[in-house]
Amino acid sequence: MRHGRIAIALGGMLTIGSASALAQTTVVLPDTSQTTTMSVNVSEQARVAVPAGISFNVTNIGAATPAAAATVTIDQVVLATATKQLRISLQATTASFTAPVTGATTWSASDVSWNAATWTAATGVGGTLSNAAFNTVATCSPGAAACSTTGLVFSLAPKAAVQRSGAHTLVVTWKVESIGS
Amino acid sequence: MLLLAAAPAYAQAPKGLSFQATLESIKIDARPQQVITRQFRLTLDADQPETRFKARVEDWWRSEDGARSFYGEPGTLRHSCAPWVSLNPVESAAKPGEEMIVRLTVSVPSEMASGGYWCALTIDEVPDPLAQQSGVGVKFVASVSTGIFVNVGTIDRAARILDLQVGSDSALIKLRNEGNAPVGIDGRLEFYASGASAPTATVVVPRGTLLTEPSLDGTLVAKLPPPSQLPSGRYRVRAILDYGAAHYIGAEREIELVRAAAEIPNR
Repeated sequence: MRHGRIAIALGGMLTIGSASALAQTTVVLPDTSQTTTMSVNVSEQARVAVPAGISFNVTNIGAATPAAAATVTIDQVVLATATKQLRISLQATTASFTAPVTGATTWSASDVSWNAATWTAATGVGGTLSNAAFNTVATCSPGAAACSTTGLVFSLAPKAAVQRSGAHTLVVTWKVESIGS
Repeated sequence: MLLLAAAPAYAQAPKGLSFQATLESIKIDARPQQVITRQFRLTLDADQPETRFKARVEDWWRSEDGARSFYGEPGTLRHSCAPWVSLNPVESAAKPGEEMIVRLTVSVPSEMASGGYWCALTIDEVPDPLAQQSGVGVKFVASVSTGIFVNVGTIDRAARILDLQVGSDSALIKLRNEGNAPVGIDGRLEFYASGASAPTATVVVPRGTLLTEPSLDGTLVAKLPPPSQLPSGRYRVRAILDYGAAHYIGAEREIELVRAAAEIPNR
């Protein structure tokens, strides 16, 4: 630590001090002007909340069936620049649903589509599910601290060839990407 | 109960997954035989059940229009860095409120041609095998991917604007990577009315990445401001883009901008 040199008068009582003004010496005191630099390293990050699943209540295989609106939220977004964006996309893990009975006709992944929902601080894009690529659902606006929707509606296309009731299921991956050079 | 049975299946859907994750792309200027370590962190929200995640390294690329992302096996691309990356652990259970850490080690081989190599770190939620879904439905799992970019040797950054198109609500800038490494690129569009020296509107061009394979070309999309700020008319549009080189690249063209008319309610 650096020390500053300060000349001060040593004295006892005022009367004595004033009488001995020439009795001065130099002492070394700590320099209270020192500063400590505190640095905080903040990583690029976000909080992600996606639904666990959606159900299609199929009562007419000859007509399209919408699911209830889903909610997706990305918040606490911290990115390196104001021009970087987070992208949310979807890909099916298989080409078709798993039918309740082996070999039974069921829906293809591409029978599932979604709307261009209204997002807060993001641009939503309508699309169709694929098991070959992640198709964009929304791209958060540059500089957005959060982006979300409560109105993402998935729809299952009609499939008149389906003959078995029960659980037809498909696993689909939500991808949150922040890939950029 | 009758009331529950009558309720639609979606009303019984389980609660979704929520977590916080680091999303930092890993960018390394490396020498052959250099070993670099980094960390990825994920924290489940406190109200979540314990969830398993699996980490892997993949090749990654985008369609030329930027609308689709593709993930492939390591080594699918010639400039993949995936074979150089090891992860620990590759699978673990995240407990609510606790941080899960995945360590990456990038070991650059001894003899590599100069250029940019890239891959992606992907963290996938492992589906719960005991979770049952009745009826027709979709089971979602979450996945997070961040980029790993390794520059080896002499890097030549070069890019060119191929085309500039302006629609009623967005602008498209088509670009080509003419260097030997992926480049991040962003910038702005300036719209000048006829004879004006100051722009009527300046639009941010969000950051994108131009790769060197499987395609050298890519597209940046910029959303136009509302017609109140940029009305229909004839403009000189100037694109000014920064791709990390010592200079910017630009393009300019005259356009007739036609904004979408506001919907008129039926009377």
